Amino acid sequence: MSEPQVTVRMSVNGRAVTRTVPARLTLADFIREELELTGTHLGCEHGVCGACTVLVDGRSMRSCILYAGQMEGAEITTIEGLSPSDGSLSPIQQALHELHGLQCGFCTPGFVVTVHELLGDSPNPTEAEVREALSGNICRCTGYQGIVAAVLKVGRGACQATES
Amino acid sequence: MRDTHERVSEGAIGKPLLRSEDARLLTGRGCFIADLRLPRMAHAVFVRSPHAHARVRSIDAARAAVLPGVLAVITAADLPEVGLAHINEVPGLVKTPQPVLAGDRVRYAGQAVAILVAEDRYIGEDALELIDVDYEELPVVVSVDAAKPEGHVPLLPEVPDDVVYRDHRVFGDPAGAFESAARVFTSTYRASRFVAAPLENRGCIASFEPASRTLSFWSSTQAPHLLRRRLALCTGLPEHHVRVMMPDVGGGFGQKIPVSPEEVAVAFASAHLGLPVKWIEDRRENLMAAPHAKEQIIHLELAVDDDGTFRGLRARILGDTGAYSYNSASALIEPFMAAKLLPGVYRLDDYEYEVQAVLSNKSPTAPYRGVGWTAAQVARELLIDEVARGLGADAVELRLQNMIRSEELPRTSAPGLLYDSGSYQESLRLAAQMAGYEEFRAEQERARAEGRYLGIGFSPYVEPAGWGTQGMNQIGLHSFPSNDSARVSMDASGKVTVFVGTVALGQGHDTVMAQIAADALGVPFEDVTVVFADTSSVPISLAGTRASRSTVVGGGAVGLAAEDLRGKLLRIAGLMLEVDHQGLEIAGGRVRARGAVSISLSVREVAEAAFFNTSTREAEPEPNLTCTRLHDPDATCSNGCIAAIVEVDAETGAVKVRRLIGVEDCGTIINPMLVEGQLIGGLAQGLGGALLERVAYDEHGQIMTTTLMEYLLPTATEMPNVEIQHLSSPSPNTWRGIKGMAESGMVGGPAAIASAVADALAPFGARVGSLPLSAEAVVHMIAPRPS
Repeated sequence: MSEPQVTVRMSVNGRAVTRTVPARLTLADFIREELELTGTHLGCEHGVCGACTVLVDGRSMRSCILYAGQMEGAEITTIEGLSPSDGSLSPIQQALHELHGLQCGFCTPGFVVTVHELLGDSPNPTEAEVREALSGNICRCTGYQGIVAAVLKVGRGACQATES
Repeated sequence: MRDTHERVSEGAIGKPLLRSEDARLLTGRGCFIADLRLPRMAHAVFVRSPHAHARVRSIDAARAAVLPGVLAVITAADLPEVGLAHINEVPGLVKTPQPVLAGDRVRYAGQAVAILVAEDRYIGEDALELIDVDYEELPVVVSVDAAKPEGHVPLLPEVPDDVVYRDHRVFGDPAGAFESAARVFTSTYRASRFVAAPLENRGCIASFEPASRTLSFWSSTQAPHLLRRRLALCTGLPEHHVRVMMPDVGGGFGQKIPVSPEEVAVAFASAHLGLPVKWIEDRRENLMAAPHAKEQIIHLELAVDDDGTFRGLRARILGDTGAYSYNSASALIEPFMAAKLLPGVYRLDDYEYEVQAVLSNKSPTAPYRGVGWTAAQVARELLIDEVARGLGADAVELRLQNMIRSEELPRTSAPGLLYDSGSYQESLRLAAQMAGYEEFRAEQERARAEGRYLGIGFSPYVEPAGWGTQGMNQIGLHSFPSNDSARVSMDASGKVTVFVGTVALGQGHDTVMAQIAADALGVPFEDVTVVFADTSSVPISLAGTRASRSTVVGGGAVGLAAEDLRGKLLRIAGLMLEVDHQGLEIAGGRVRARGAVSISLSVREVAEAAFFNTSTREAEPEPNLTCTRLHDPDATCSNGCIAAIVEVDAETGAVKVRRLIGVEDCGTIINPMLVEGQLIGGLAQGLGGALLERVAYDEHGQIMTTTLMEYLLPTATEMPNVEIQHLSSPSPNTWRGIKGMAESGMVGGPAAIASAVADALAPFGARVGSLPLSAEAVVHMIAPRPS
């Protein structure tokens, strides 16, 4: 039995990638194993926990329930693509750091990606909107308090920056 | 690189310093077990039993073995006869031998019967479908208080009634108390089965090198030294040929303390193939086959005088152990620990308990944050609420009336635990004040008139924390002495490396241990690096990170070692400065004479001299600036009070937690931000346990909760912000008065929420007898409606 293969071209964190992969290879495994972008984590592999969240054409998606072969022409952004390469932190990462929005850090990349999308859509969300937007990402450590506070802080900062 | 030398100076203890570990985790640069990759590495998957109880007649792996990419299928028949070795002894506990792979018998659904190794995980999972196991099903025990099934086959032949532990203890004169008390209140609380469900599942990599017969082992574990010891015992390798390393760990909460059968099987598979073998557990396996927790039935009787004075307590506790008493004292981690802490913060010296731990055809149990104290707390506090309602007393006043006062401390509880210092009444009073208790009662009345049901619950707790040898002895685990050690080293540039055996799983130990070392040495926080688990270089902590003990015993050891090192530096500096070293101090990274700061040297100058200037050997003959210490303090307990305010929708049964309040007292705080993080995180798990989480089995022992769509974890929409205040009763027993506290949210939280729901539903005469309080459960509780 020879396994069906698919050739896909996509952009990952701004770099063109062409690979021939097994048709059943998940996007998450492709990102982690083929591209060695191990910041995308797998917590459930059935689309609930959100640890594997990446941006596909700017929208947050669970890479564990997508296939790499579906990504023809897609622009994919992972946590590595949202992190400055010089070791500094993006505004949401900085806020999570300052407000103790992470403990073990396993869920954190997924939250950063989700928040990136949220703040793109709604730069200054209310607490209820933040909680709703985060409800597809599970954190078992923090009780969400620091995460919610961090998102609100970045939102307020964006709002003040616009006003000034 | 920016010079941060003066950013944080000495006195790092007590400051909310931001975490050193955050940046790599925030940017996806953490390194968890699944992220590690070795050359030629193969991947393991497990053949797991679909039946809860069966004889294994045969395993036919012929079809799987010939699938391209399959490297090996290993069954119990291929392994030496090793069970999971156990180290600590508990008098009276029958230790059921747990095989690495089930041989002729499976005892719970999900138990591993074979390990299959393939070139990648996709091939491995294909091959699983080609393995034929012939099972003969046996009658199943799913409930430890129901009649045994027809044709019952005991899980272990030598234990015909499946009871692996029973004990009956009497303290004081409970018989006299019950005889003379005015009233007796009784309750039965059925604690559901939970699973810790860290977001990162379990996993490991074994790399056996056949020429030197050495095993390198990476694991997502809480106790690398324990793992090394057990791997050595199971494989027969000498301990120095086994090296356990620990990458970043994505949470543990107790589940990653025990050595798992899978870890041992992976080690054997690597030795068998002479290849590195990796196993990454999936969520289904974690929910069904990783250890569970908390399930027990607690019957209580509380003897009370008419004025509300508690006179005596009787408990009968039946713990559901699952299929094995496991590879440590895990069968007892629930019912036995519950019994030991049932008196809680109350004056209950006339106490009696009966404990049984019973095997069932379910996944074995392991510690989960709060261990048996979670269930004990819920059972006790719900009963106290019923006493208050029965006597027409106020729930807060009744608790205060019966609570141990801080001036009575230190005090030994009836079952023998030392409560060293604390603020029991103060924390309850403060929680009531924060909740606006009196105003709340008025609001509750108004709401009830509108058909809205609000409730408030208070859960004052004491948490044994620290667990040195004395604490373990007091609770009855005499063969588990503390040996948790730390080494503090300074290099020739004056920078510090801390090696500590209590490992980090997200709590912020990189930061906490560095704060302690910086403070004790008098150097900047930024000058300290912390190294955890690599058993080849880090001093022993056999117990590892568990039981809210790391900051107390690991941190204390770091503090003592750093103080020793400070003494060395001062002696060398005294020689260099030609002054008496007893008149020297270290502050801000400088050694200086007290009262004459012009006489000084930088720590770097002293460190350089220690290594390179041989004349300093007159003061310190060994050039190594390295000190190793153990901290094995007498017992200590933190305490506090959780309060919850809930609103219950009487139509839908939905419970909304409107406020959560935490007053905590862990003595000397190293980092208040991290203390609050631990409390809030524990409370989120407590909220999950109170309202959402339950491992469900059907009558055939089939587990029904095998995805996160069935085992529900709290999300940001259920969890409110927690309002926190700190009190401080430093321990007289520990280094700098530190107490552990990381379990308190899970000890006190579920009881507070359960109590609040019971309070909300008091007009319906509803009693809370089990958690979680799902909407369905609440609807059942409140029927029939009041007129």
